[in-house]
Amino acid sequence: MTSPITRFGAHILFLPIMMVAAAVLVKGYADIGDGFSAGVIASLGVILQAVAYGPVEFDRLPLARFAPVATFLGLLTALSTAFVPVLFGKPILYHYPPAGEEVIHFGSIELITPVAFDIGVFLVVVGFCVGSLAAVAREIARRQAERENLAFERSEPSLATAETRARGDL
Amino acid sequence: MPDQMGEPNLALILLIVAFAAPLCTVLVGLWRPRWTGPAAIATTAAALMVVLGSYRVGDVSFSRPWVSDLGLAFHLELDGVARMFALLATGIGLMVVLYAWRYIPLHLAHYNRSLEEQPRFFGFLLLFMAAMVGLVMSADTILQFVFWDLTAIASFFLIGFDRDQEDSRASAMMALLVTGISAVLVLIGVLLLWVEFGTFDLVVLSTEITTSTSAQWALALIAVGALAKSAQVPLHFWLPRAMAAPTPVSAYLHSAAMVAAGVFLVRRFYPMIQQVEWLMDAMLVVGFASIVIGGIISLTRDNLKQILAYSTISQYGYVVVMFGLGNAYGLSGAMFYIFAHALVKSALFMTAGAVTEATGSKYMSKTGGLLRAMPWLAVGSGMAAAGLVALPLTIGFFKDELFFASAWERGSVFGVLAVMAASFTFAYAGRFWKGIFLGEMRTQPRPIPGMLTAPVVVLGALAVIFGIWTPWVVDIAEQAATIDVAHPAHIHIAYHLDLRAENVMAVAAWVVGLTIIFTERYWREAAVTFARLGDILGPERIYWSTLRSLERLSDWIHRIEVRDLRSRVATILAPTGILIGIAVVMTPNDDAFVIGGFQRTDLPLATMLIATTLASIAVAIPRGHLRIVLTLSCVGFSLAVIYALVGAPDVALVAVLVETVLGIFFIAMLLLMPRSILRFETREPSERSGVRRDVLLAGLSGVMAFFVVWGILSRPSGSNLLINTYDRLTPMAHGKDVVTVILADFRGFDTLGEITVISLVLLGVLGLIRKGRLR
Repeated sequence: MTSPITRFGAHILFLPIMMVAAAVLVKGYADIGDGFSAGVIASLGVILQAVAYGPVEFDRLPLARFAPVATFLGLLTALSTAFVPVLFGKPILYHYPPAGEEVIHFGSIELITPVAFDIGVFLVVVGFCVGSLAAVAREIARRQAERENLAFERSEPSLATAETRARGDL
Repeated sequence: MPDQMGEPNLALILLIVAFAAPLCTVLVGLWRPRWTGPAAIATTAAALMVVLGSYRVGDVSFSRPWVSDLGLAFHLELDGVARMFALLATGIGLMVVLYAWRYIPLHLAHYNRSLEEQPRFFGFLLLFMAAMVGLVMSADTILQFVFWDLTAIASFFLIGFDRDQEDSRASAMMALLVTGISAVLVLIGVLLLWVEFGTFDLVVLSTEITTSTSAQWALALIAVGALAKSAQVPLHFWLPRAMAAPTPVSAYLHSAAMVAAGVFLVRRFYPMIQQVEWLMDAMLVVGFASIVIGGIISLTRDNLKQILAYSTISQYGYVVVMFGLGNAYGLSGAMFYIFAHALVKSALFMTAGAVTEATGSKYMSKTGGLLRAMPWLAVGSGMAAAGLVALPLTIGFFKDELFFASAWERGSVFGVLAVMAASFTFAYAGRFWKGIFLGEMRTQPRPIPGMLTAPVVVLGALAVIFGIWTPWVVDIAEQAATIDVAHPAHIHIAYHLDLRAENVMAVAAWVVGLTIIFTERYWREAAVTFARLGDILGPERIYWSTLRSLERLSDWIHRIEVRDLRSRVATILAPTGILIGIAVVMTPNDDAFVIGGFQRTDLPLATMLIATTLASIAVAIPRGHLRIVLTLSCVGFSLAVIYALVGAPDVALVAVLVETVLGIFFIAMLLLMPRSILRFETREPSERSGVRRDVLLAGLSGVMAFFVVWGILSRPSGSNLLINTYDRLTPMAHGKDVVTVILADFRGFDTLGEITVISLVLLGVLGLIRKGRLR
């Protein structure tokens, strides 16, 4: 278990990190950053929680459980922005509104289809980082629990048996 | 008929209704699994209504440019052929869905599976129906191919519906491989035709003269793909295997839909195919071979559905023969035959399923004498079987009359072959019905839901009604056989009480057929030997040995490449180093390697480069895993600083983030490894030869990469054409940050590939760690 200060730090940093990620994502078209960087920033924010609270607590977060699903939602989003234009006889990844036409702005946020594509990339990256790390974390927690059970059963586990078992794993 | 803008177009409506069916059914099913069946019935009935309505409207076409650069069009033609096959797909579909409504819950309960799997079944069944409807209407060969493959995909999931049974999975895979690989032949054929005639439009294609060699080969490839789908010899072996599917699937796919798709394709290309004489002769050979092989093996089977599967192979052989005969009766006879066969065969499949459900046995030797216990089923399937064996007063009589007429017209040898074929049919259909309903009762049947009998009775009754009152069916078949609207096809069928050739042949077939049934004990040995010979020498053996050798090849490559991490890296580094080395040596390099000057402003950059170099050397020194990871991170972060210094903030940001995440991943992986292994790896001295190999490979590829980078940096490219273009286009793409616009727009396709790879890697990780569970 980590110290309360670490946990408190992780706790108050979560929202700001997500804020930065969101900004990098939606402003990517006008400024430094894109869906990929935003995805990694957001994942780092989530992983920070995992590091602070430990795998078991982390696994309870819906965020960790649904991350792999987010990957495929993201892939679907990106694939549809790429291939939906094909249904209308336009090239792959044709963007709307087309070149030279007016774009709706919210400050520096632009409403164009490549931004949707970038959101897809964002989801894929977040889903991948969080999802695979959550899987690894859960596996580590499982093995730890197993080891503790084993230690409880045999008061003195020898290194040799642990090693042969570990080799058996491989 | 030219299509009018703005008016609702019946072809489009049919396509939309057909594809709405699986969608609505699955949505309803997810909400209330119990209502899946009724939803499927309602949506299928709606599709059937549209098809029936289309008979009042006449030919409808719908065409929109699709990818006009490639000459593709979203072109649908709802003509006579499309109407008949769509009628079969939706009409038989409705009967099958009615049957499945009661059958599937029993089936799931039998295997202790959740009723919530119903949407999966009905969804794929109706997806198949929709794909079939799309296939028969599409008049663009590429569009047709898309629907063709969609049927293969849906059939894979339907045949493999019992996914916990290994047998079922292998059968689904076999059906997918055989029909999927042959589908590629269809695609090649279609592209060859495009090269030859410059169009994908079937309406245009069917008026072309196809005497050139490449056109002939194109049609031959298409025919091979089509006949594989119709389970014709020698690519027939997947069909009997596919009987591992639940009965409604067999009743639908293997009587009226999937196998019918094959002959449908032949029909669509028939105006072209009939010009190629050798292809017509080849179809005769394939057709007769299928009739004989399917017929003989069908007589030896004990499994009820297997009898019917081999019978289907044989029956579609009839159709292919009629295509091959190609005279006045051939095409219209084939169309009539497909219609009649679909009616009766699906009824017989449903009979087999109902009997199995009642007695718990799939084998004929364990059933029998059910006439008293299940009178309705006996009457219904009796009418269907009578239709199959072509007794008078059923639709089947006319299907055989046309078959005999077209065979007789070609010559007396064909007449004799036709009689032989018909007597086979009589024998196995008779044996099927007699085995189930007559004789002594071996198993007392349980009561079954009425819905398992009703569709059989309806289809059987239709077979009789259409045998007495013919104009409607004749009209459907005539429309389907019409190639040129100006010269519609004509079918003349009637009962004649005289000694014309067709009648004599029919009577001869019944007599021979009856003889075959009652002399079973004399020919049984020979037929079983023939069937076993087929198992030993047949094409199925080739299929399995091909599959096995592919597996061995893949294992071999796996052993060489991915045995351990070192050899994995070596397989990448060695070829790269050697190939780049050759390129560096071969390239003229007079002024390629320039040592530039050094200015004071370069000082920070040089410092960072030195730091990076030191860090990279340092990676090779420590033996503790954690230290290696941290040193690697140092290399990455110093590279990020270099990017920032040379004015690439986007790249620098990505580099920092990637390094951070990579470090975390490495440490997580180290945590996952057993402590003892890590300790062992750290303490044990490495193998000498292994170290030498690693140093050699790393040195070679490193030095070569150094020379390449040096060469490139010495000659800054003369024009920044690409960069300037990107800069100019960025505002047009509504962007201000050129890097993001490149990633998401200009080179968006690359990004798409990359994120697909990321998703697949995630699947791999989850597969390894969590056995593939997503959540």
